[in-house]
Amino acid sequence: MTTLTMGLLVLGALLGLLATGMPIAFALGFVSIGALVLTDGFGALDIVGETFFGGLDSFALVSIPMFILMGSAVASSPAGKDLYIALDRWLNRVPGGLVLSNIGACSIFAALSGSSPATCAAIGKMGIPEMVDRGYPKSIAAGSIAAGGTLGILIPPSVTMIVYGIATETSIGRLFIAGLLPGLLLTVLFMIWTLISCRLAGYSFEQMAQRFTFKERFQALPRVLPFLLIIAGILYVLYGGVATPSEAAGAGALFCIVLVIVIYRIFRPGPLIEVFRSSLRESVMIMMIIGASELFAFTLSSMFITQSIAGWIGDLDVNRWVLMALINVFLLFAGFFLPPVAVILMTAPILLPIITQAGFDPYWFAVILTINMEIGLITPPVGLNLYVINGIAPDIPLQTILRGSLPYVLCMVVGIVILCIFPEIVTWLPTALMGPGG
Amino acid sequence: MQTYIRVVSAVSRAFGIFSMLLLAAAVLVVSQMIFVRYVLNGSTIWQTEFVIYAVIAATLLGSPAVLIDRGHVGVDLLPEAMHGRGRLVLQIIAGVASLAFCAVLAWSGWVYFHEALTRGWKTATVWALPLWIPLLPMPVGIGLLCLQYVAELMKLANPRLGGRPA
Amino acid sequence: ADKTLKASHQWPGGKGDVRDEMVQIIAREIGNAGVGLEVQVYPGASLFKPRDQWGALSKGQLDIAAFPLDYASGRVPQFSATLMPGLVRNHDRAKRMNDSDFMADIKALIEENDVVVVSDAWLAGAFASKQNCITDPESIKGQVTRAAGPAFEQMLADAGASIASMPSSEIYSAMQTGVLDATNTSSGSFVSYRLYEQVKCLTAPGANALWFMYEPILMSKKTWDGLTKEQQDAVMAAGQKAEDYFFEEAKKIDQKMIDTFKENGVEVVEMSGDDYNAWLEVAKKSSYANFEKDVPGGKELIEKALAVE
Ligand code: NA
Ligand code: NA
Repeated sequence: MTTLTMGLLVLGALLGLLATGMPIAFALGFVSIGALVLTDGFGALDIVGETFFGGLDSFALVSIPMFILMGSAVASSPAGKDLYIALDRWLNRVPGGLVLSNIGACSIFAALSGSSPATCAAIGKMGIPEMVDRGYPKSIAAGSIAAGGTLGILIPPSVTMIVYGIATETSIGRLFIAGLLPGLLLTVLFMIWTLISCRLAGYSFEQMAQRFTFKERFQALPRVLPFLLIIAGILYVLYGGVATPSEAAGAGALFCIVLVIVIYRIFRPGPLIEVFRSSLRESVMIMMIIGASELFAFTLSSMFITQSIAGWIGDLDVNRWVLMALINVFLLFAGFFLPPVAVILMTAPILLPIITQAGFDPYWFAVILTINMEIGLITPPVGLNLYVINGIAPDIPLQTILRGSLPYVLCMVVGIVILCIFPEIVTWLPTALMGPGG
Repeated sequence: MQTYIRVVSAVSRAFGIFSMLLLAAAVLVVSQMIFVRYVLNGSTIWQTEFVIYAVIAATLLGSPAVLIDRGHVGVDLLPEAMHGRGRLVLQIIAGVASLAFCAVLAWSGWVYFHEALTRGWKTATVWALPLWIPLLPMPVGIGLLCLQYVAELMKLANPRLGGRPA
Repeated sequence: ADKTLKASHQWPGGKGDVRDEMVQIIAREIGNAGVGLEVQVYPGASLFKPRDQWGALSKGQLDIAAFPLDYASGRVPQFSATLMPGLVRNHDRAKRMNDSDFMADIKALIEENDVVVVSDAWLAGAFASKQNCITDPESIKGQVTRAAGPAFEQMLADAGASIASMPSSEIYSAMQTGVLDATNTSSGSFVSYRLYEQVKCLTAPGANALWFMYEPILMSKKTWDGLTKEQQDAVMAAGQKAEDYFFEEAKKIDQKMIDTFKENGVEVVEMSGDDYNAWLEVAKKSSYANFEKDVPGGKELIEKALAVE
């Protein structure tokens, strides 16, 4: 049996198990031990524990629960609402000010959280009902938040960038900063599409515009300011030479928890426990996938499947942009079904050597990969953000959410094309801040 | 059966709360570490490892509680589309396969833990923490995860025992 | 049919890394020996994580590895002597060390853990700082430093440096942002991580180098015992070839680092005999003292190492 046939068998077994709905982490683990036993005998089971533990034994991974905690703490407070209300008061003269405020709030909140569902939930909880109240079409209200929420993993900090950095041994600090301008680019693209789609839906902004005095505008600021300060603080800690990303994550989490307690006077243990419960839930899910992926990667490599696939792609001998297009299609397809962390862990180590061989920048590719994963978050059949929206706005049917968010997929594809034409949007800021290479 | 489910779930929940405390401790220790290094300009010996192992322990010990909350994400497209018997079969396959993997992981984790304990292995750092301490959560947490999976399978076999299975 | 052995290491494959080349030589030589053995190389930590290779070798899950022995010092504490500051001093002494009582003890411990040495190799390393040239212990005072391995951390902390730990992939950006002032690591890493873009001064290993690390090619005892006499001979002959190649190359790695740093306008210095002795005094009351206190037979090991001419 050739290695590629074995690879197909392993992949088939994995897809079959995933189809039963079993947790991704355990499906990866089960396929791994099955393949190991079949190829190396039962002796191979000796190393399961050590390999799983080794996959988690990294200081860089510590930042994952920390950045999740940070976002979860802020999401538990009315900060998300305050954020977009403040933006709305300042943007209300602009046509479509409220949706713009919501997308803008998503983008700002993304800088406070490493994960996309948290971003989605934090802004959407208040933002969607408000938009619906003011007469915006439900599909646009839900879709814009679902898409805006995906910015959580592109605008730093980002859980998926951390995983990419560990899997490919690239600098997490540099990856973070590489995602910033592309994140803003997507924010702008999302805003543009939202305005267009509102017009297409025949929605008249002018009638709905509320007027706010400057007094009201400034009144909205004090509660938002601390969070902007935290973002500035984290950026300073990361790029001003104070601490490494993991350390910044810990400090950020502590600050956010303290701030939420102080500003919103949440002294009762209930909400705080809920913050920790939801963070534990998300980080355990991610960390278990990381440990199991370590086992899966070991299995594929030991059977020489990884190397054969990489060799096979390397031998394709196609134009580098055709290669990039093929990789994008593949990532898009993987993202339809699997959550970002799983896709990155399974593909980045194989793809990165091919990518760099073809002359692409690994940090640029990280951004392209991340945008593909963002698309996965709002596409069926498995789109985490769609379900989050469904959870916080149960009266909007899934189909309506879907109809609203699919156009944003096109925005992201446009974003990818723009970044392919102007890779400097990714590489300029890291180079300016941190020097070349690295 | 009902007693088994109740007891195991209660233990899982208790470990879940302990895991939250571990996360909180990790946050505090990271912050303390930054303070020591960049404000006091001192050296940090134990903090890095403590934080890594606290997060790993939180993951492993918290995994049974997360299972109860159905937090281990899966692609439940097909089971959601199916009804009755077909769905039940899929869920049983999923549960049994998960249990099998977790059992191997718990066993292998136990072997690793036991080796580290009896041979006196330590971490290769200045702190030189006995390795069995960070390894203990693997047999304990994943072992409990196995017990919790059995409980979830019981719920599956007998829906009256409570809630939807994982 | 040929029996296939798995060989693993953590450095990039096919990019001219000396340790990768050593493993490739062994793979080639064993394959060409016509003794029914084939070696499959897994470079770049594509099979096991660097530190996990030791356990896999002992258990027979991995056949061959190029392995920095200090990585296993949590399991065999005596191994920290192979990344102990100032114990080796220069390449020629490293070569004499290989046949010393000190290394005989180390190799006996390796075998006790079901692993066999196929080739010896000692890699040199350097210091570099963004602030000044690291020469005597006084020169590192107050600098946030990343060190490879606990023995170095203890010595540097005793000299007044503040120790930060991070994966080597973060060194560059930590230096760029200013989290880190100084670092010490192997000569090869200094070049591959492009640290010449960040530092002001490099302390190259010359006649008086503090940083040496033992990175032998190892084979699992289980695998070794399963080989015929003819196969074992082929393995050892291949190992000798790799070792000879390595000794030729070892000094070239240092020279390449020096050239690269100079080309990039970095000042390059060496430690004097006095600097070296001053560091040795610091090491004796920090890392050596701890090693002698904590490790069974530690005192004898240090004495045997220092006794090498
Ligand atoms: Na983010
Ligand atoms: Na999807």
